[in-house]
Amino acid sequence: MEFKDYYKILGVERDATQDDIKKAYRQLARKFHPDINKDAGAEAKFKEVGEAYEALGDPEKRAAYDQLGKDFKAGQEFKPPPNWDAGFEYSGGPDNADFSDFFGSIFGAAARGERGGRASRSRTTFNMRGEDHHAAIVVDLRDALDGATRTITLRVPEMDDGGHVLVRDKNLTVQIPKGVVEGQSIRLKGQGSPGMGEAPAGDLYLEVRFKPDPLYRIVGKDLYLDLPVTPWEVALGASVKMPTPSGAIMLKVPAGSANGRELRIRGRGIPAKEPGDLYAVLKVVWPPATDEKARKIYEEMAKELAFDPRAGLGV
Amino acid sequence: MTDETAGAIPAEEIGDEPIYSLEELSSSCHVEAAWVVELVEQGIIEARGATISEWRFSSLSVVRLAKAKRFDRDLGLNPPGIALVFDLLGEIDRLKARLNAQQRAPSSLAGDSSDPA
Repeated sequence: MEFKDYYKILGVERDATQDDIKKAYRQLARKFHPDINKDAGAEAKFKEVGEAYEALGDPEKRAAYDQLGKDFKAGQEFKPPPNWDAGFEYSGGPDNADFSDFFGSIFGAAARGERGGRASRSRTTFNMRGEDHHAAIVVDLRDALDGATRTITLRVPEMDDGGHVLVRDKNLTVQIPKGVVEGQSIRLKGQGSPGMGEAPAGDLYLEVRFKPDPLYRIVGKDLYLDLPVTPWEVALGASVKMPTPSGAIMLKVPAGSANGRELRIRGRGIPAKEPGDLYAVLKVVWPPATDEKARKIYEEMAKELAFDPRAGLGV
Repeated sequence: MTDETAGAIPAEEIGDEPIYSLEELSSSCHVEAAWVVELVEQGIIEARGATISEWRFSSLSVVRLAKAKRFDRDLGLNPPGIALVFDLLGEIDRLKARLNAQQRAPSSLAGDSSDPA
């Protein structure tokens, strides 16, 4: 296990005040919050920052961490001395599933205090439906087009007989329905926390995110494909072959099309009750004038065509 | 991965049919009912029904409520702040989608670059 330098993670000095630590945490939390920052590394960074604040934001835990940490550097192999934390008392809920082993080794598994405002507090009695869980799932365009089966791993905190909290990896095989779109949530009934008493378990909600596709840009249910065309195809009109998710088609390019023109192929986007459309975006590509024949043709065009694209610039 | 499709749990798309009462919604998300009422007043989640006891919420509300709870817990935002973040995120999503649709593929534009010699 590697030693984690929580001060460095928050970007503060070791003698920072509690206020400085709080301010640094708030700034980083806003920046990396996974609901706001969709970059791939944001969630991991957010958790790291949260863990650092959990340790340093509480003066008691900070004192314990300082005592332990004075001999260590970040990344160094770390092993807590046996019983080193006798004399420190922590309280809090069993909600630290996302914290590192390093954190667990210092503060114990059940050390995370409940942070935050008025949410997350109501605990009623007897029959209570289990809590809903929320996670994200990353899928390919293909999965949305055809439906797919994916296995996801969730880290779930569990209470053992002695009341200790253990974090367990739980594998779930999920059948992703056809036609999901970016940002949409899907639900797995009964896969949240178990209910209390007679009440049913909560549900698991998965927010769908797409891996970028090499060919198509995905905008809601619609797909965009850049379709390279020649100058004479757009000038004279042509039938050109293009791919679609359900196989190649011949697309009619109308004569006189401009570069960047979007041609819609209805219903060939992501399937749904009202399926999305596929757009071919025309990208005119000019042949290079590298050989004699091509040069001749360009020269002829220059001579024969009265074409001034800069006529409107007033020079 | 042993059993590929056997035993796979079907995920269902969630809809906006109003099904949960205020009590069901707040207890399943472990938040106070009064806090949910504040979110409804800010227009963050939508309640159907005339009076609070008749209020019904869709499973879409569950997702938005969970997100709102994370903003409260992680960033210390109050309901007006959460409402603002939802609005701004919606706007960013809209703009990103537009940008994404218009984005040019970098390689196919051989003849399109201007070169002021």
